[in-house]
Amino acid sequence: MNQKMGIFGFGLLFGFALSRVGASEFDLIFNMFTGTNFKLAWVMLTAILVGYLGMRLLQSKGMITHSGQPVKISHKKLGRFSLLGAVIFGIGWGMAGACPGTVLAQLGEGKIYALFTFSGMIFGTYIYAKLKENTPEL
Amino acid sequence: MMTSLANYIFVEPWPFWAGGLVIGLLVPLLYNFYNTALGVSTGYGNLAKIIIPGSRSLNWIKSQFTETWSWRVYFIAGIILGGFISARLGGRPLIIPEMGQFTIIAGWPALLNAIYFFVGGMLLGLGARIAGGCTSGHSIHGIANLHMSSIIVTVLFLAGGAAAANIVRVLFMGGGF
Repeated sequence: MNQKMGIFGFGLLFGFALSRVGASEFDLIFNMFTGTNFKLAWVMLTAILVGYLGMRLLQSKGMITHSGQPVKISHKKLGRFSLLGAVIFGIGWGMAGACPGTVLAQLGEGKIYALFTFSGMIFGTYIYAKLKENTPEL
Repeated sequence: MMTSLANYIFVEPWPFWAGGLVIGLLVPLLYNFYNTALGVSTGYGNLAKIIIPGSRSLNWIKSQFTETWSWRVYFIAGIILGGFISARLGGRPLIIPEMGQFTIIAGWPALLNAIYFFVGGMLLGLGARIAGGCTSGHSIHGIANLHMSSIIVTVLFLAGGAAAANIVRVLFMGGGF
């Protein structure tokens, strides 16, 4: 339970930051893609740099968690269909002006249409489960 | 002085670097405290399991989603509450009926908007699962760990997004926005 409440707190911080910096604004995401406003691209680049430096710091401490366990990095390998999936995701990102994290912040902000993006995402995940029944390498 | 600092944090929109700093820090922090990777989209599998509890199709996720109410659901709930608190402190209306300039300029009936965003969401959910992650898991967490697969996937995320947004802009928004 402690783990879940702690992660709930990190989620709260994540959602707060996404909303404050404007990552949950349809216009900012859309304008990054149409090339008229790159604020969110800078947010992503800064986040990657900070994440990288933080991981270096963790490495310098021996890649050990605060409770002394070895850190297990999740490395997402490319499957046969990964690149296709990435393009499908990108189209959804550009259409909806949201991604799986920012749509949650939009929901909290009271944006009505985020409800539809959100339910669509759950449905899309379910479609994946259905497709995977017949195509295990998906 | 304190009031203005609080104002910058809780009321004014953040500059890009403040958002990047907090979001980026989540990568090492989640590893340090919970030995887990930053990521959101996998949690939608948990949500699907909660909504359709008896579905045999969702058994594929058993290995990853052994526990239906896993920490991922709590992470998702936290993000929603974070957005809520941010909007309340920022003095936004409780309900926002528009989705940026899109719903204003396109001027579609509500049902059509709803279908449009549902389809967008469907592509996000399906695409994220096939690609193995989303903006947080691949683009932030993966690239911060210098994973080549995440760099390739992110380039295609952005290419798909740019293609879709420009087509939508020309077809439905008069090309002007």
